[in-house]
Amino acid sequence: MITIHNVHKAFGRHQVLKGIHLTVQKGEVVTILGPSGSGKTTLLRCINYLERPDEGQVEFGGKTIDYKHPSKKDILFLRRHTAMVFQQYNLFSHKNVLGNVTEGLTVARKIPKREAEEIAMAQLERVGLADKAGHYPNQLSGGQKQRVGIARALAINPDVILFDEPTAALDPELVGEVLEVLLEIAETGVTMIVVTHEMEFARRVSDHVIFMDQGIIVEEGSPHQIFHQSREERTKKFLHRVSPAYLYQQV
Amino acid sequence: MHIDYPFIWTAFKFLLAAVPLTLLMTILPILFGFIIALLVTYIRLYKIKVLAAAAGAYVSFFRSTPAILHVMLIYLGIPVLIIKFGHIFGIGFNANKIPVFIFVIAALSLTAGAYLSEAVRSGILAVDTGEAEAGYAIGLTHSQVIRRIVLPQALFYALPNFVNLFGGFFHTTSIASIVAVPEITGKAIIAASNNYEFLEAYIAAAIIYWGITILFEWLAHLTDQKLSQLKGGIT
Repeated sequence: MITIHNVHKAFGRHQVLKGIHLTVQKGEVVTILGPSGSGKTTLLRCINYLERPDEGQVEFGGKTIDYKHPSKKDILFLRRHTAMVFQQYNLFSHKNVLGNVTEGLTVARKIPKREAEEIAMAQLERVGLADKAGHYPNQLSGGQKQRVGIARALAINPDVILFDEPTAALDPELVGEVLEVLLEIAETGVTMIVVTHEMEFARRVSDHVIFMDQGIIVEEGSPHQIFHQSREERTKKFLHRVSPAYLYQQV
Repeated sequence: MHIDYPFIWTAFKFLLAAVPLTLLMTILPILFGFIIALLVTYIRLYKIKVLAAAAGAYVSFFRSTPAILHVMLIYLGIPVLIIKFGHIFGIGFNANKIPVFIFVIAALSLTAGAYLSEAVRSGILAVDTGEAEAGYAIGLTHSQVIRRIVLPQALFYALPNFVNLFGGFFHTTSIASIVAVPEITGKAIIAASNNYEFLEAYIAAAIIYWGITILFEWLAHLTDQKLSQLKGGIT
């Protein structure tokens, strides 16, 4: 279980997060929806301290870490128990696929090379890319890169994986292969927090959906509650605006 | 004016003997300069307060003043310092015993260090910050991210710059002639004034510089091709 309390973050004078509380149970898939600029990605990046929150705590793995004054050890603890999948993949371009996946094992966790490679190959198998182990990122398609990104995250066996719009940069015909992998790992009980614009993914896979706007959580609940029985006007408006019916009404 | 063509050939053969020293005076400053550049880069990346300011001043000074002045300042300044400190600590060390080319190599190393620091810096700017973030996200420490993710790529991106600097420094060695180091230009001056055949001696020197530079540019072209193959794309 991971719980975050009262996370605040400002960029200059612009308040991006205005006190976020969030609890994610083990094995749960939580999706975060919201219009652009609502603070979803910033929230995700605050969790593993890629952004420095101005205030807040995280409770996690039997530890409470103060986001305002974390020690270096705290930050490493957070990052070594979480993993992140990025919108732009962010693969290490000077390392091959296998090297990308083993880096977190051999260097950050001091796992012997041979064992690390076994773990990495098993995860590459899982995302269907075992045959690309020797390739470099610039030899892969976007979908393949993102699947390597997912294998890299899975390999370190984290308590939670943070997904930052994992399909947003992909060509439409490549979204499917990444969603397929996401569905598979969601079913195997990996704890996931997913910022996404894939409404169908959120509807089908999430245990819990969060709708954010202007730095606060406006509404949260089961997919059914959010998609069919939302109480808040802002939620309804957002869901309407991303619906095909609205997008094509003027065509 | 009459040109003594056979003497060009004589001078050419005479000057070839200076090529090893000239190359040494190019390679050593680049090597020492590279070590200085790595130090400067580390200081900058770790934002060590006082040292970062000193490193900034060093790079600024040596890139904003001509290399010939660096040679003069080191050649004339270091002996003064040695004598002064030797006096304080009671060590009788004769600065005149240090071979002149050592001063030149020291001065050019400092010059090279400043230029290479900037080359590494632009290499670092070329590295995708997302990759550093991915490094942090899998639990690497700051120094692991620098050593394993940022620097290897930064040096790779800086390689064409290094190659260009190498070519530039090969020509810069000629300023050592003003303190009478017998590299190619220095030796050309000797050949010229001993035989009163100035133009011929300098033509011979120019041919040697040109030839070695062409050879070098060809090597640079090969590395460039190899690099763009690795990077992919048409750049």
